[in-house]
Amino acid sequence: MKETPLIEVKSLKKFFSVKKGFFGTTRYLHAVDGISFAIRKGETFSLVGESGCGKSTTGRLVTRLLEPNDGEVWFKGQNISHISDNQMRPIRKDIQMVFQDPYASLNPRMKVKDLVAEPLLIHTKLSSKERDKLACELLETVGLNSIHAERYAFEFSGGQRQRIGIARALSVRPSLIVADEPVSALDVSIQSQVLNLLQDLQEEYGLTYLFISHDLSVVEHISDRIGVMYLGSLVETADKDTLYDRPMHPYTQALLSSVPVPDPTLKKERIILKGDLPSPVDPPSGCRFHTRCPSCMEICKQHVPIFREVEPGHEVACHLFDEEMLKLER
Amino acid sequence: MTQNLLEVQGLKTEFKRGDGSITAVAGVDFVIKKGEVLGLVGESGCGKSVTSLSIMRLLKDTPGRISGGSVRFEGTDLTKVTDKEMRQIRGNEMAMIFQEPMTSLNPVLKIGLQLMEPIMLHLGYGRKKAREHAIHMLRLVGIPRAEDLVDEYPHQLSGGMRQRVMIAMAMSCHPKLLIADEPTTALDVTIQAQILDLMKHLKEEQDMGMLLITHDLGVVAELCDRVVVMYAGRVVEEASVDELFARPQHPYTKGLIQSVPKLRQNVRRLDSIKGNVPDLSQMPAGCKFAPRCDYVTERCLSQEPELLPIEGLERKSRCWLTQQENTEGGERL
Amino acid sequence: MSDNSAVMGTNSPIPGEVIAPEKTKGRAGVFIRKFSKQKMPLVAAFFIILLFLIAIFGPFLTPYNPDEPNYDALMQGPSAKHWAGTDEYGRDILSRLIDGTRLTLAVSLSSVLIAGVLGTILGLVSGYYGGWLDRIIMRGSDVLFSFPDLLLAIGIVAILGPGLSNVVIAVAVFGTPSFARIIRSVTLSAKETLFVEAARSMGAKNRRIIWRHIFPETVPSIIVNLSMKIGGAILAAASLSFLGMGAKPTEPDWGAMLSMGRDYLSIAPHIVYFPGLAIFLTVLAFNLVGDGLRDALDPKMKN
Repeated sequence: MKETPLIEVKSLKKFFSVKKGFFGTTRYLHAVDGISFAIRKGETFSLVGESGCGKSTTGRLVTRLLEPNDGEVWFKGQNISHISDNQMRPIRKDIQMVFQDPYASLNPRMKVKDLVAEPLLIHTKLSSKERDKLACELLETVGLNSIHAERYAFEFSGGQRQRIGIARALSVRPSLIVADEPVSALDVSIQSQVLNLLQDLQEEYGLTYLFISHDLSVVEHISDRIGVMYLGSLVETADKDTLYDRPMHPYTQALLSSVPVPDPTLKKERIILKGDLPSPVDPPSGCRFHTRCPSCMEICKQHVPIFREVEPGHEVACHLFDEEMLKLER
Repeated sequence: MTQNLLEVQGLKTEFKRGDGSITAVAGVDFVIKKGEVLGLVGESGCGKSVTSLSIMRLLKDTPGRISGGSVRFEGTDLTKVTDKEMRQIRGNEMAMIFQEPMTSLNPVLKIGLQLMEPIMLHLGYGRKKAREHAIHMLRLVGIPRAEDLVDEYPHQLSGGMRQRVMIAMAMSCHPKLLIADEPTTALDVTIQAQILDLMKHLKEEQDMGMLLITHDLGVVAELCDRVVVMYAGRVVEEASVDELFARPQHPYTKGLIQSVPKLRQNVRRLDSIKGNVPDLSQMPAGCKFAPRCDYVTERCLSQEPELLPIEGLERKSRCWLTQQENTEGGERL
Repeated sequence: MSDNSAVMGTNSPIPGEVIAPEKTKGRAGVFIRKFSKQKMPLVAAFFIILLFLIAIFGPFLTPYNPDEPNYDALMQGPSAKHWAGTDEYGRDILSRLIDGTRLTLAVSLSSVLIAGVLGTILGLVSGYYGGWLDRIIMRGSDVLFSFPDLLLAIGIVAILGPGLSNVVIAVAVFGTPSFARIIRSVTLSAKETLFVEAARSMGAKNRRIIWRHIFPETVPSIIVNLSMKIGGAILAAASLSFLGMGAKPTEPDWGAMLSMGRDYLSIAPHIVYFPGLAIFLTVLAFNLVGDGLRDALDPKMKN
């Protein structure tokens, strides 16, 4: 009997209308173009990809900061795709977010203790004193000192602020934390501190993470399973070792080989992709990746590949692994 | 003895803040030989960007001033030349590319015009010849349809293309030294791979010296011949790229290399460096890294070590323990 | 591992971490310091404090009874007995000026405050909720904006009848649209900040977001706009009184004093000069303070 995933996303779509010029036609930016994945309780699932791939938008769809245009979001067996704000509010206690920019995501006019306790204020009936006490405990949990509670966010460094953001997310003991590029804005030596913290917290509190990042090394370190996105679609999903050992999609392979390795003795053969990332307003026909794919075939230009399981736990959207499509090519 | 391309000695740069000043660069020394790529590595606040701006004498619109030391470019001390003389060197023999290609290009001028400006100014070409040279440069940096692109505006290009244009602009007058300040940090990783590849080719073909400023150790390993590590406005280690990664001497360098998550590393927990970079206005006494160092001793807290060479190798380190081990002839850290 | 807190001078548990000890003073301290560094606004601020003191203690400061006529000393120029001279009824002008401070400040401050409160509410609601509400409010203020200020005020007073309380209403009405517009634009940009998005992701209700996260962002604009508008309000009230639609002749509102004095401009110009000077200095002072506040509250201005 398969356990219900904590969060499940089915054929999720989100597009934004873009008007070109005063009299221009309305075009659509396909930020997320039909993606499906599921995250089990206690797991860390990462979405990885470059700009315009839609990973951040997906994060916001999962937390219902955005409403999907099509497809569904299921949380703990409940369809939350189109429920109202009022219905969503109690669920928000269970889904919290950590943001990329440690400077902009904390209200500069609030004291640290108020920042950390805000979710408690919204979701519980604790008194002000009780909230302050919890805030201090949370600060200690994330490696800060409770005397910092009376200070303002601007007095802290980026890494410390990110800890404050994590303490805030943790305050209401959510089941799921969506972390949108939580370490991208931090220095390398601080990144590792925060990543270690996230891992420790996951173990201690049984958290589930949806981790969004562009950094493949970070993602490998922290994830159980990974989904690679390109221009709004999921191109490959697998568990960590499988993805990094046996990447199947040409984009995943190129992505992995592009990462500069801090080891000068490792001279690797790089897959250098031609061309630029296409605009999400005007995506290429057929397989979105065909314009840059070293293995592009004729069918790729016309048919959108289907996202299917090619081996247990490993899904790919590529005609190279689709027998029916390959027949067409020949 | 061949002259060094760039010799920085004891460079000090201070920023006015309120009634006092803070020292962003506190005595930096390094040398770049002809055709060599030197990496300047460090995290935010270490002073690497300020160092490059000081070398290029681009501090005029900032509250920063070079307050000491010398920067010798092919023998000439750039800290002592006039503005006019500096302008003849900048863009010509010494060029710079920046992190944000969006803001380094003028949005209201066509690409071609922006490229032609330094060409006409420094090489003295006429408009027609300059335009041809501009198109040639665009092709050199791998831009397709260069003849069309020359008439487009920056906003019509992607980040990767704009960075290529910047590189084309910087290289158009065949500079002897290229200073690249975080040239790929703002780019997507597949685009970064393209640009790094381009820079590698240019390095080999043009025999140009390069000062590459970055915080990304992977980029350093890819491109650089030698590396200088900076912390709190000072050089803490200098070595060849192979030596630096294989046998880092300074505890900060060690910590930095260990904290970067590497592909296929498979460790449970990442190493990290505890604490934070000190505020520039509140530097600790003694070694600036001591409060965060795992090997700290009493001496480290009270006396600041000097940047001294390590016997037998072309390396330097600013650490009491390295000094100690070196003189004792024992094994290194 | 030795304890480095002595070296660092802080008591943080993570060695190497430095938090500037002075900053706990908060942004109020920084703001006061920044403001105090500007000479003219500082002088102007002291002047305004002085005005407030005069307004509060006025009745005790007047050398003469401001309402008491003295038919033996009509329209006398400035002298040792009457520093500002006497008006057409023999009343001491200085005393009337002092007495009038309270009235003038009360009228201008209340009208501006009402405009501020109304305008802020409208601006917040309009900017945050958008949609048809926004359109109605903005079109409404466009209509009000399209009238020349004074004409609008005259129109309102004509409908409501003369008197200073109606002047307050009139000035408040024509001041509201500009507040609404400014606050709306601040709201629009505050709405897009990451910390507002964070609040929403936490499940905060709209009311809370507006009050706790957006309103504080608008406060600097409100303060600056208030100080800028006070000058205009004084002038508007003065103009209305000048036209006979505001204060009664016995009320020592500065504008009314100007109004009454114009009949005697050729023979006793001091009756006009002194109230005029008072109005001029006060409006100038508020404008300077407004400038200074704007600069001091601007986070990009360096200390």
